[in-house]
Amino acid sequence: MKILPPTLRDKKRYLAFELICEHEVTREELLREMFSCVGSLIGDVGSSECGIRLLTFEDSKGIIRCAHKKTGLTRAAVTTITHISGKRVLMHILGISGTIAGATEKYLEGIEVFTNEGIE
Amino acid sequence: MVKPKFYDMNVHSIPDGKNTPQQTSILAKHFGYAGIAITNHSNIESKPTGFKSNGFEVFKGIEVVSNNPSKLHGLIGKYRRNVDVLVIHGGNENINRAAVENRNVDILAHPCTPKDSGLNHILAKSASENNVAIEFNLDSVFKGRGGRRVHTLSYFRKNVEIARKFDVPMILTSNAASYFDLRAPWEMIALAGLFGMEKDEAISAISTVPAGIIARNRPGPGFIREGVEEIIEEVNSKDSSIDIDNIDSEPEEAGVSN
Repeated sequence: MKILPPTLRDKKRYLAFELICEHEVTREELLREMFSCVGSLIGDVGSSECGIRLLTFEDSKGIIRCAHKKTGLTRAAVTTITHISGKRVLMHILGISGTIAGATEKYLEGIEVFTNEGIE
Repeated sequence: MVKPKFYDMNVHSIPDGKNTPQQTSILAKHFGYAGIAITNHSNIESKPTGFKSNGFEVFKGIEVVSNNPSKLHGLIGKYRRNVDVLVIHGGNENINRAAVENRNVDILAHPCTPKDSGLNHILAKSASENNVAIEFNLDSVFKGRGGRRVHTLSYFRKNVEIARKFDVPMILTSNAASYFDLRAPWEMIALAGLFGMEKDEAISAISTVPAGIIARNRPGPGFIREGVEEIIEEVNSKDSSIDIDNIDSEPEEAGVSN
């Protein structure tokens, strides 16, 4: 099928985030918990409107995609993640950008993820 | 646009929470807060702590717990002079009422009772007159699940509506017991959007309202009592020479013209 022309495509925003966690978390674990938390806060209808997608996740940082008018709701929804596999976690949005490249360059490249070594 | 300074005014530390104020402040600073207030419950043995390091400040605070309104007023008097932030552990109709009627109270924390939002037009009027901020403790939104969260959100929505109508100061806090319960300021603002708080209201609820509380409780050197202030020290300080001249010359001029 031919892809939609740019004017008809859904506009998106890319949220760069870091995950502050007690123990390392895998992509699958994060995905499962993310959809369960988002689903419990905004339900299936809200989730479909937000169009949340986990794009990349590596070394406790990554990018989430969402609809461009739903950044506030997406932000609120992902901050409700408190536990993954019984361990405490905390998602911190580093910044929002209109392109993946923008989000990566501005907020993720060369940024040291906050570790709780200084705290523990 | 000037970047607002953010504050979290209800954070618990050891022995009331899991971490020390130092540990919590590392993360709070990373999140871009300018300060947090350590407000441990008054029924737990702990001394109010406060310190300042590299532009980040931990404010001395207390969350006063009591079941009895008259005892509550006594406790407020006891703690008021030692802390920057005085929070009342709400959630009971009588305590909520006592809290908003006392001028020495800064924040009424989690006013929602099991039955209702804990705030009505009468309490809101008192809170507005006495400048008592109504807290929206966001931990119940991001930690809660299911029916309880549904109720919390609808109570919060109602409280925002009432507070707006009666011009009651609103404040957003994390009520954190561990550093994992902290949330970055913009996340807090996004969470406030879930119960109908506008963006500008949310920003002031996490920046200017708490800053106002601190400023109010740390009066300048010439402060005598509310409404009475000695301003000599200010006049003697910088660029005051003009003022002094004016003050001196005015009576003379008056004399000449007469």
